[in-house]
This record gives sequence, C-alpha cells and structure tokens, in this order.
Amino acid sequence: MDFSLNTRQKELVEMVRELVNSEIKPYLVSSSASGFDWELIRQLAVHNLVCPTVPEEYGGRGLDRLTMALLMEEIAAAHPGVAAVIAATLHAVEPILLAGSNTQKEKFLPELTGKDAGLAAFALTEASGGSDLSIMRTCAVRKGQGFYLNGSKDYVINAPIASWIAVIGATSMEQKKASMRVFLLEQNSKGFSIVRQRETSGLDYAPIGEISFENVFIEEDNVIKGQKAGSGYLLLTQTFDRGRAMVGAISVGIARAALETALEFAENRVQFGTSIKNHQAVAFSLADMATRVEMARLMTYKACWLIDQGGDYCKASAMAKVVGSEIAQQVTCAAADILGARGYEKGSLIEQLVRDARVLSTIEGTNNIQRAVIASQL
Amino acid sequence: MSFKQIGRKLQLAREEKGMSQEQLARALGCSQSALSNYEKGKRRLYLSHLEKLSEILDKPLEYFMENNRPPVEKEHLLGGDRSDQFLHLINIIYQLSDEQIREVLSYIEYIKWKEKRGGQ
Ligand SMILES: Cc1cc2nc3c(=O)[nH]c(=O)nc-3n(C[C@H](O)[C@H](O)[C@H](O)COP(=O)(O)OP(=O)(O)OC[C@H]3O[C@@H](n4cnc5c(N)ncnc54)[C@H](O)[C@@H]3O)c2cc1C
Repeated sequence: MDFSLNTRQKELVEMVRELVNSEIKPYLVSSSASGFDWELIRQLAVHNLVCPTVPEEYGGRGLDRLTMALLMEEIAAAHPGVAAVIAATLHAVEPILLAGSNTQKEKFLPELTGKDAGLAAFALTEASGGSDLSIMRTCAVRKGQGFYLNGSKDYVINAPIASWIAVIGATSMEQKKASMRVFLLEQNSKGFSIVRQRETSGLDYAPIGEISFENVFIEEDNVIKGQKAGSGYLLLTQTFDRGRAMVGAISVGIARAALETALEFAENRVQFGTSIKNHQAVAFSLADMATRVEMARLMTYKACWLIDQGGDYCKASAMAKVVGSEIAQQVTCAAADILGARGYEKGSLIEQLVRDARVLSTIEGTNNIQRAVIASQL
Repeated sequence: MSFKQIGRKLQLAREEKGMSQEQLARALGCSQSALSNYEKGKRRLYLSHLEKLSEILDKPLEYFMENNRPPVEKEHLLGGDRSDQFLHLINIIYQLSDEQIREVLSYIEYIKWKEKRGGQ
C-alpha cells in the first residue's frame, strides 16, 4: 500500500493552496462579500479549475477522483461556499461523463472549462422530498423528436446561474424509477423559470434555488440515453455514489480549517500563565480533532481510489460522506469551544465554518440514507 | 424497485439463459463473487453493467428496471408471507375447467391493464 502523492498531485495541491489562500479565502468572512460573486469563480477559471474532471479533449484537465478530492479539500478549507458551487458542477457533469453521447460531451462540457467557464447544476430534490424518489413529480412526455418536461425542483445549488442543469424526471408516474432519465436543460429554455432563491444558514456564497418547468421542450439529443427508459435511475445512483466521496473531501477541508484556526489560537492564547495549548484538556481536544480529520481524509481517499480503479465504491463513498460530515460538525464545534467567546462571534471564521459544516449531513442524501445504503451492502 | 430486485431479476434471466454464475461473470468481465453480490443486491449494478447484461441475456433494460414482482419459483410459492392466500387460490383454480381458467386469466390481464392505464 502506497500512501504517497505523486509529483503532479503535490504541485497541483501547492498551486491551488496558494491561489485560494490569496484570492478566495479573504472573501469568506468579509462583510463586503456575502452571496454569490463570479469574481471568485473567475480566479479558479483562470487555472481551468472550475470543472477539472472534464477530459482534456473537451477542454478540461481530465483529473481523476483522488486528485480532485485533494483540490476540493484545499478549496473547502479556504471557502466552503465556493467548494459547494464547484462540487455541484462536478456532480452535474457526472452523468454525461458516464453515459453521454459525443454530441452531448461536445456541447455541454467545454462550457465549464477555460477562463470563461460557466457553472452547472444537478436537480433532483423536490418540495415533496429529497430522500424518497417514488414521490418525485417531475414528469416528461415524449412528443416528436423530444420530451415535454413539467414539474419543479428545489434547493438546487447553482440553479439560478447555471449554464445548464441536469434534471431528473420520469416518463411514467407509475414506474418512476424504471422510466427516469437525465434531461440536460439549458438556462434560456422556454418554460423554464427560477421561482425563488433560497436563503440558507450556511454556504451563504452558493446560489440555491427553486426552479420550475412548464412544458419545457427538451430535444432527444439533450437527454442522456434518451432511448433507454430506466437509464436515469442507474445514472443517478452512480452519480451519487461518486459524488458522496467529494462531500467527504469538502468535510475534510472544513474540518482542517477549523483545526488550524483552533491550533493557532491555542498556541497564542495565554491563560493561567501559559498558552492554553499547554493545558492538557485543550491539547487532547486538538489531538482528537487532528485524529478525526485524518480519519475522514483516509476514508475519502479510499473511496476516491476505488472510484479511480473501477472498484466497488458505493459503500466506501457513503461511509466517507457519513464520517466526513459528522467529523466536520464535531471539529468545527470543538474549535469554537477552544476559541471561547470569539468562536461565537458573528462574522468570525469559526462561526462561518460551524454553519457551513452543518449542512453536510443533509446534502447528497442525508446521513440516514447513507446508513441505509451501507446496511444494504452488508 | 431496489437493487435487490434488480439482482433477483438478473439471477432469473441468467437461469433462463442456462448460464452459470461463472459463465456470466466471465462474459461480463467480473469475478464470480462480484456477480453473486450483484444478484444478492449487495453490490450496485450501474448502467454500463446492465447494458452489457441486457445484451448477453437478451433482455431489454426495462426488464431489470420495471417494478413488477419476478415470477415466483415453485419452492418459494408456499414458503412466503402470502402462502395461505396462494394455497386458497390454487385450490379454487384446481376445480376449474380449462375454459374457466382461460376466462380467469383474461380477467387478470384486464385488471393489470386497468392498473397501468393511469400513467403515460
Ligand atoms: C444547502 C443545500 C444544498 C442542496 N443542494 C441540492 C442540489 O444541488 N440538488 C438537489 O437536487 N438537491 C439539493 N439539496 C437537497 C438535499 O439533497 C435534500 O435536502 C436531502 O436529500 C434531503 O431531502 P429533504 O430535505 O426533502 O428531506 P426528507 O427527504 O424529507 O427527509 C427528512 C428527514 O427524514 C429522514 N428520512 C427520510 N427517509 C428516511 C428513511 N427511509 N430512513 C431514515 N430516515 C429517513 C432524513 O434523513 C431527514 O432527516 C440541497 C439541500 C441543501 C440544504
């Protein structure tokens, strides 16, 4: 077993760390920068880092999962909101990478690469529920050379600003899973609308929205495996199984940022005549935090490695997501405790990280759903 | 329709084709233990696997995906939770003439058609 990173990975991590620390991190808690701002995405786009898993032939960097996870940790450690926007884009391209036609790849992938890269969204959740697919209502009716799509989706990251959205819909309300497909919807499509932008308690940077489709015509060329009913469900599950490892990587980044902040504070804060790091209770708390971060990181790496090897990654990815999200929540709260009153101050880094970590156990399938997935494979 | 159900249908289709787990695993390019886990629903079958399996086993993708119960095997018929109901039905059918059995089957087809009519 070899845990070392190769030279290319080390250089990329170094470059991204420097970039995000100087150009993106300063805006995480800056009062002048709340909400989405293309400027931060542009900083990544200059280095073709908006959707680096896109193959080189379509303009991307063709990164494998493990390398992507390394970069995602760096982005999340600097700015979890930016990481969420990038992760949503990676998620949206996955069905195209897995099963898209050459025409779809040529049309949709280059839009997310290069200096002017746009963003994409993945829309599954509806007002009626995100966990139970059998109550999904978004429905498509085949007509002529395409499908008419009707319905709505909610809490979709990037929906208000995405160049295109991968929408999950079914053609039969009776056999939903067996008739699901992935529809690639362009932002300017007639009948598509943004109902509202959601205000969330964390990931403030990420634009999250409710969207609706009223007789939106989607030509067959923009439906992944359009001829194959049921392809959507299989692509959806595979996309989630791959994407969950990336939530693990975001979790590691958030937890690491909290640990680094707490460590620096503990070294400099003096109480009872010595730095608080010299008080064993504080030192042990830091030790537990560091151990947990490493645990989440290793589980994320293993899941990504299995994905890259074409192994059986479903369980490993779900485990990385559960462990990572719970560790991110524990570590950010522990860091807030070490910072004392400063950890509870509005606009402080730790306060932001606690709020950002909170949602990790809900997105990409709640942790209860992950546990159900893991249990089904035991 | 769960991965367990998809796996069960895979097993039925493999048996119908007269292939062993080893033979199908070889054709699919995976190990026999992986195939066994696919059939038990302990490992997820993704689109690329099912497309290949559809070809090998001459079944459309929908066969694996549709939410109908796979045909009951003889040994499961009287062992499941609905065995009393099934036994009762079999006893009634047993008393019928061939013509009456045909009528019952056409009524069942009608019930299934009525159920399907709702969706598009
Ligand atoms: C910030 C943010 C960003 C998001 N981004 C996206 C996005 O980009 N695209 C998208 O499609 N969706 C997105 N979502 C939606 C997210 O995926 C859903 O919120 C999530 O899947 C849960 O669905 P729900 O909120 O409807 O909760 P529900 O499904 O109603 O679940 C409510 C509670 O019941 C529990 N529960 C439900 N079923 C079971 C069960 N069988 N066993 C045990 N417990 C169960 C859940 O674990 C949860 O605790 C986002 C959500 C947030 C908050």
